[in-house]
Amino acid sequence: MTRTAIGTAAGGRTRPAAGGGTRRWGRALRLLALQLVVPVVLLAGIWWWTGQAGSFYFPPASEVARYFADLWLFERVGGDVLPSLGRMFAGYAIAVVVGMVLGTALGLSRLLRTAADPVVQFLRALPPPALIPFALLLFGAGDWSKVFIIALGTVWPILLNTIDGVRGVESQLLDAARSFQIPAGARLTRIVLPAATPRIFAGMRTSLSIAIILMVVSEMVASDNGIGYFVLESQRSFAIPEMWTGIVLLGVLGFVLNWLFVVMEARVLFWHRGLKGNSDA
Amino acid sequence: MLEVAQLSKVYGPDPAARPAVADLTFDVAAREFVCILGSSGCGKTTMLRCLAGLEPVTSGHVRLRDEVVSGPPREMAFVFQDYSRSLYPWMTVERNVAFPLRYKGVPKQEARAATQEALEAVGLGGRGRSYPWQLSGGMQQRVAIARALAYRPQILLMDEPFASVDAQTRAGLEDLLLDVWQRYEITVLFVTHDIDEAVYLADRVLVLRAPAHVALTVEVDLPRPRNQLTTKGHPDFGRLRSELLAALSPAGTPQ
Amino acid sequence: MVSLARVSAGRGSDLGLKVAGIAVALLLVELCTRSGLLPERWFPPAGEIYAEFFRLAGGRPLWVEIGRTLLGWATGLGLGAVLAVPIGMALGSSRTAYRLSRVVIEFCRPVPPVALIPLTVLVYGTDLQTKTFLVAFAVFWPMLFQTIYGVQDVDPVAIDTARAYGLGTFARFRTVVLPSATPYIATGLRISSSIALILAITEELVVGTPGLGRAIIVAQSAGDPTRMYALIIATGLLGWALNAAFGALERRVLSWHPAQRQEVAR
Repeated sequence: MTRTAIGTAAGGRTRPAAGGGTRRWGRALRLLALQLVVPVVLLAGIWWWTGQAGSFYFPPASEVARYFADLWLFERVGGDVLPSLGRMFAGYAIAVVVGMVLGTALGLSRLLRTAADPVVQFLRALPPPALIPFALLLFGAGDWSKVFIIALGTVWPILLNTIDGVRGVESQLLDAARSFQIPAGARLTRIVLPAATPRIFAGMRTSLSIAIILMVVSEMVASDNGIGYFVLESQRSFAIPEMWTGIVLLGVLGFVLNWLFVVMEARVLFWHRGLKGNSDA
Repeated sequence: MLEVAQLSKVYGPDPAARPAVADLTFDVAAREFVCILGSSGCGKTTMLRCLAGLEPVTSGHVRLRDEVVSGPPREMAFVFQDYSRSLYPWMTVERNVAFPLRYKGVPKQEARAATQEALEAVGLGGRGRSYPWQLSGGMQQRVAIARALAYRPQILLMDEPFASVDAQTRAGLEDLLLDVWQRYEITVLFVTHDIDEAVYLADRVLVLRAPAHVALTVEVDLPRPRNQLTTKGHPDFGRLRSELLAALSPAGTPQ
Repeated sequence: MVSLARVSAGRGSDLGLKVAGIAVALLLVELCTRSGLLPERWFPPAGEIYAEFFRLAGGRPLWVEIGRTLLGWATGLGLGAVLAVPIGMALGSSRTAYRLSRVVIEFCRPVPPVALIPLTVLVYGTDLQTKTFLVAFAVFWPMLFQTIYGVQDVDPVAIDTARAYGLGTFARFRTVVLPSATPYIATGLRISSSIALILAITEELVVGTPGLGRAIIVAQSAGDPTRMYALIIATGLLGWALNAAFGALERRVLSWHPAQRQEVAR
């Protein structure tokens, strides 16, 4: 009990860095191997277990892979994947624009912010799927009810983070701009909004994962195409391997979209990262 | 050049509240270098913000070249103490300097030339493409000075601009400032709490007491150009220093 | 000084502003329905909805539905937290464990939990277990990441100090690691509580497990939009109450150190 988990962590940090180039390479390789051990073992385990278990719910992974190639490369892409993604991006784009515009207005005006506070608090606490029946009444079962739900569900994190970002702008950044007679419009677009982007992106990232969830749910409740519809229909007709391919596809989509977002964020906010790195040092 | 008359500033709606600036009166002549010296909390920053038109005054007035200041005037540039919060981290050094020029109506070509010239004047000619956070604190404050210079002000207001850099860098920045002050033929109003700095830089030192009013004016007749070694070793330097120290200490006697 | 003066001057009118804001929103809704901008068959006048809401709130069935939703919410949130916090503590305090599991975690985290609905229904059927599993899966990730960051954020000087005073492993954990990580965990709980409610309602809508979500869709398909909107309002108020409660809990836990107040795991 003398060697604690915390102890090893601290020990790892103080261990002297490897001297020579070969040793450094060796270290990097070891690290990579370490990170890949668990995923590889896990995948192999799943492959082996599903292959010999003969479970109805967990068909062999090889079979799922075969079905996946059949279905999604690229037969159903046009019929299910594209409609799903299209609706998601439409709703998300609306949420980004509306959230940023309203958030900026509320962030700048204390009066508006206070007056809107109870309504915003209520609407953002309302679980968006509860509004799906409402959206169905409003827009019918077509694309727009789904776009509406996705926009309505994802707008709140963007809105609230924009408000915080706009309010949190360093007053001196604005004083400097005022002292150089930068007009109010340019102060907003060139100073306030750029300074708020780190917060706005944090909100957009939360919203992205909500958008994927709502895309799937809205297709599960009422739709005749889309990945969510496909997965639920497969389950209802006990087409288990097909259902699994849909689940895997949604997982991959979630991962890829998140990754794309992180890459874009790193590009747009490179200065923020640099700034933070500097103040840490 | 700059005329401050019976300036008062009270924060908040209560007129009986303790004023931050009370009955402040002084003048600054064109091309003069005036230092305002005061201990922390004596209302220096509030006074400067009133002069810059960033804060409305309660009574009295500020005139810049015979015009009453009601908002940030075009002939004035402001250098803040905290460079990390007055430079825009998402713009390169060049863009930080050129940014205000666009809204001043300076043509693009001219703005670029002015930016380059100002950056060279502060010794950062080669760093235009860097971002502020890639530079050291002293270099960042030089960028802030370059931005002010490129704006071609007639008067430069500086709020403890060198307070957050180390002593070595500070001496370098002081000499740089004196150099550009001469070259650009501008007026400087420099706020500091450092007696040595005030004496070293100024033609005239105003001592401020809370609530901000001028308690003492000291003419500094040390020869120019000034030099960190010879000026600070000059017999008058010590005399002025003690005089100001006495004026700053609460009882009016040297500590 | 400036901002303080403004705040104290503005505080008295805050309540009035908020009431005015609510009034404007309600008026807008009323106008939309009365003017026929929204067809009346599906969008009854707002006044009727409020009446229905208060009628429901006075009766037992609404509270039964709320109880069912809350039960799934609580079991899922509890299970997710009970799994995530210890794992997060382990991964946060051991670099090796963190490295070993990183790739798997980064792959699993973005998987939308609703993608698992069909599978869960197959395995667990359409009762509380399904709801619990989905909620637990969804809240596991934010709880895990908040805990990891919380433990990793422990000031090394504080640990060294505790060591220098001869505190044992357990004492060190209890006196240094746990208090530093607690604010992060509290924030994680607040984020997770609203995610849990979303998942519980979703599961009821899609799978048909009893609860508010199912009640809403039943009211819709029964052609009773008044009741549907009243139920949606009840759901919103439930979400708001949970938010407020967890926000208050978080503020209490964080009161000792406001600087800790940040959401690292979104």
